[in-house]
Amino acid sequence: MKLFNLLRLPAVLAVMLAAPVAVTAEHTSNWAVLVSTSRFWFNYRHLANVLSLYRTVKRLGIPDSQIILMLPDDMACNPRNAFPGTVYSNADRAVDLYGDNIEVDYRGYEVTVENFIRLLTDRVGEEMPRSKRLLTDDRSNILVYMTGHGGNEFLKFQDAEEISAFDLADAFEQMWEKKRYHELLFMIDTCQANTMYSKFYSPNIIATGSSEIDQSSYSHHADNDVGVAVIDRYTYYNLDFLETQVREPSSKQTLADLFDSYDESKIHSHPGVRWDLFPGGEQAGRERLVMDFFGNVQNVEVDSTAGNATEFEEDLLALGKKIAEIRERAERQEADERNASLPEPLHSTHTTRKLRATKVEADNRSWGKTAVGVLALSGCSLVWWLGSQMDSPA
Amino acid sequence: MSNFSASRIRLSLTSYLNVAAHQTQQHQQPQCAQRDRDINLALAAMRLFLSLLSLAGVLFTPTSASSDYHEQLNLRPLHPSLLLASFNFQSNTSLASFEQQNFRYFPRSLGQILQHANTRELHLRFSLGRWDAESWGARPWGGAREGGTGVELWAWVEAESDEEADGRWLTLTNALSGLFCASLNFIDSTRTIRPVMSFEPVGDHSNTTISDLHLLHGTLPREVVCTENLTPFLKLLPCKGKAGISSLLDGHKLFDASWQSMSIDVQPICEAGSNNCQLQITQTIDMVLDIQRSKRPRDNPIPRPVAESELKCDTSKEYHSHDTCFPLDAAAQEEEWSLAHIFGHSLKGTCPLADESTDPVCIDVPHARHVYASEGAHEHKDESGYKRCFSLAPDKEFEMILPEQEISEKAPLEQPLLYAERSFIGYGQESGGVQAILTNPSLTDSVDFVYMETLPWFMKLYLHTLKAKINGLDEDIIKEMYYRPALDRKRGTQLEVRAIIPANSTVVLTYDFEKAILRYTEYPPDANRGFDVAPAVITIGNIAIRTTSLLLPLPTPDFSMPYNVIILTSTVMALSFGFIFNLLVRRFVALDEADQWDVRAVRLKALAALKRLASRFGKGVKVEKKE
Repeated sequence: MKLFNLLRLPAVLAVMLAAPVAVTAEHTSNWAVLVSTSRFWFNYRHLANVLSLYRTVKRLGIPDSQIILMLPDDMACNPRNAFPGTVYSNADRAVDLYGDNIEVDYRGYEVTVENFIRLLTDRVGEEMPRSKRLLTDDRSNILVYMTGHGGNEFLKFQDAEEISAFDLADAFEQMWEKKRYHELLFMIDTCQANTMYSKFYSPNIIATGSSEIDQSSYSHHADNDVGVAVIDRYTYYNLDFLETQVREPSSKQTLADLFDSYDESKIHSHPGVRWDLFPGGEQAGRERLVMDFFGNVQNVEVDSTAGNATEFEEDLLALGKKIAEIRERAERQEADERNASLPEPLHSTHTTRKLRATKVEADNRSWGKTAVGVLALSGCSLVWWLGSQMDSPA
Repeated sequence: MSNFSASRIRLSLTSYLNVAAHQTQQHQQPQCAQRDRDINLALAAMRLFLSLLSLAGVLFTPTSASSDYHEQLNLRPLHPSLLLASFNFQSNTSLASFEQQNFRYFPRSLGQILQHANTRELHLRFSLGRWDAESWGARPWGGAREGGTGVELWAWVEAESDEEADGRWLTLTNALSGLFCASLNFIDSTRTIRPVMSFEPVGDHSNTTISDLHLLHGTLPREVVCTENLTPFLKLLPCKGKAGISSLLDGHKLFDASWQSMSIDVQPICEAGSNNCQLQITQTIDMVLDIQRSKRPRDNPIPRPVAESELKCDTSKEYHSHDTCFPLDAAAQEEEWSLAHIFGHSLKGTCPLADESTDPVCIDVPHARHVYASEGAHEHKDESGYKRCFSLAPDKEFEMILPEQEISEKAPLEQPLLYAERSFIGYGQESGGVQAILTNPSLTDSVDFVYMETLPWFMKLYLHTLKAKINGLDEDIIKEMYYRPALDRKRGTQLEVRAIIPANSTVVLTYDFEKAILRYTEYPPDANRGFDVAPAVITIGNIAIRTTSLLLPLPTPDFSMPYNVIILTSTVMALSFGFIFNLLVRRFVALDEADQWDVRAVRLKALAALKRLASRFGKGVKVEKKE
């Protein structure tokens, strides 16, 4: 028995060593994917929903480089908009959501199911610019917010295609397998929204939606000068909480506070929350801070034990040496290439250019061609006429 | 003393098209004195053209300084009650330091993209609206800094083969799409062309590189231009829109304009006969603002009925009374406006990085017009009589007020070289035609131009129907023509026509086309809106004029059609299956034979046979029992 305990000691030690790491395994970056899926002017409110979330996460510190904003239509500069360059989410028009500084990553026809799934799973071509990619890792917390028109287990994109709850669940699973998130908060405002997260099966996801199956989500109010509804109820009350309770990045409000603030009589539908995928379930999830998803944290992990100044300087020196070495090598390589490419000019004048438009020459002999054609035709008809003459006497 | 006054501008008028104004340095002033007379003569003819190109003069002059930055705002009132505001920002960096990634005033984000994509010269345009040449005259910069509706991009990419150039073009469009928040990545092979006669490199390229340069051109006529495109545009500027004239730029005003164009040009500029090259980036924003519209408060922009007491009535009418009002003719009255009215706020001092020799704000109004500038600014009146510039106090806000004034003198309008319009003709869902009307307003000079069309692949041009009529008569004015036919889903049509319009005449170019039917999944979500066709580009020397874009209605299916098809095919399937199944399992007989085949008869027979069988077995059983 003692021997057995002795054998177990390294394992116990390992667990003890690993334990602090596990405890401090917090996220080190925050990302937000904000998607509106509706085109056309009368869906103004869906873009306003997304833009108000965009302003909120930006206010709480997530930089533009870590926000992926998808807007399928242009509301701010729409000819129908009486307020050019602005989008409002409230009839009081106190806050211009479009503002002076906005970066839209995917817009117009780019907002498709394919692009959305490619974004989540990072299956993009090498030419894709960094601003259009979700460059997360296993220490990134992601807020995914979607709004649009949906139904039981689907959400319409631009009135032309749909994403199903299964597609979304598989995309999140692939993200988990690829270590693309640490924790994920999924929030959706659409009709029958809760069905959209019902198929999720990947860990570390908290999901919330605006309405149950067979329930519609409603808009909050309209602005008569804009001419259409400007925000949805669920998003309106989420924003209400975020604006009044989460005023600065040091806020200690928890997700429980946010979800408990939902008043079904005001929202006019039953918002749902799904905790079972989260480690520790509802209890652990409720303690998570709102800022863990809606704000930016600056948690820094230091790998080694308190490094000293001399070590740092030594590292710096080594780095400098390495850079010098690489530069030298590059220069040598360049010189070699230059030497090698000296006789090149002869070759390079032969740059292949075949993809050009060709010159259209005027046809000067068209009369001659017409004459030949007329002759040929009349010859044929002559033969035919002769043939018919031969037949007819019989 | 203005830096743009005639005494310091040396003008070389190579042709009426080729205007290059060079600004000489201050210490060279005495040398210029004798040239003044010729200059004044030339200026009389070219004054208006120069009003905007004067800064371009600075642009085209290679300066010895390794790195500098200029900015200037030019305001020109247009009739009726409109204002053209041209913002120009320009910086230089030496090519050597650019290659060492020492960017200084050159925006790093753009510089690295250019290096990565081996792009030697770049022109990017974002435009909205229509320039009304009939009432507004010639375009700012002669049209050189403007693009077609939406986004237009053309670049000279260095590559050894066409394939390599295509690859670099792909890299470039995607990278720019990320930088400028526009769907530039949609410029694929179907929207890319390689112009032959239109577009010449503006920059100076050495002979060795020019053989490796590939010109690629792409347009996105559907692309919207909005604040998200202005944001990165401003971030490229050294003062980032925080100080200097760029502080006036506000998306809320810019995108309320009747016409606006943003441009970015990057080109190498070399001193003649030396290897001293500079890379130059020029950013311009031109917009035509409606003064009355701009004066509306931002929180209440919707026009509401004016109160009775505020109506401006013509009291000279005899029927004028408390309940009748004839509106006063405001044509002779110049509108009152100020920078704060037009741009929402006044100018926030000068950009400290800008070159101080350039006056930041200029306005093209007759000298008789009152212009009140804020304290600290100095006014420099131009000798032409229609232009004045202001130098500003560095740290003070600048405001300029033009009061209401009755003035008969107006700054003359420059006549454009060519009026161009283009529209669809024909009818029906399957084919149509295009008609371009080009008018040469000049009474003396003929115009040699290149007309370039880039059509989407689903608009199939019939080249043999291309006709040019001059003043209604068929005449052979087409000198040269380049054509590249479309390939379905692979590339669009490219057509370039070089022709000459004689003085004071109108040319009508027409051609027919056929519309292709797209596949179901190829339609965009708003297919019923129509498909945008890129504007035609008319190049006259180094001036470019663009027509408006066209909206092509294609035959669109009813998009619930697949469901109809599924329902219909299911019905047909069910019906045919039912018939065939019946044919297979039933026998059709005449009525008198029917008894024979009656089911009851068959059943009875079967029953009888069964009974017989049973009785036989029954007997057998009995026999067995007996035995």
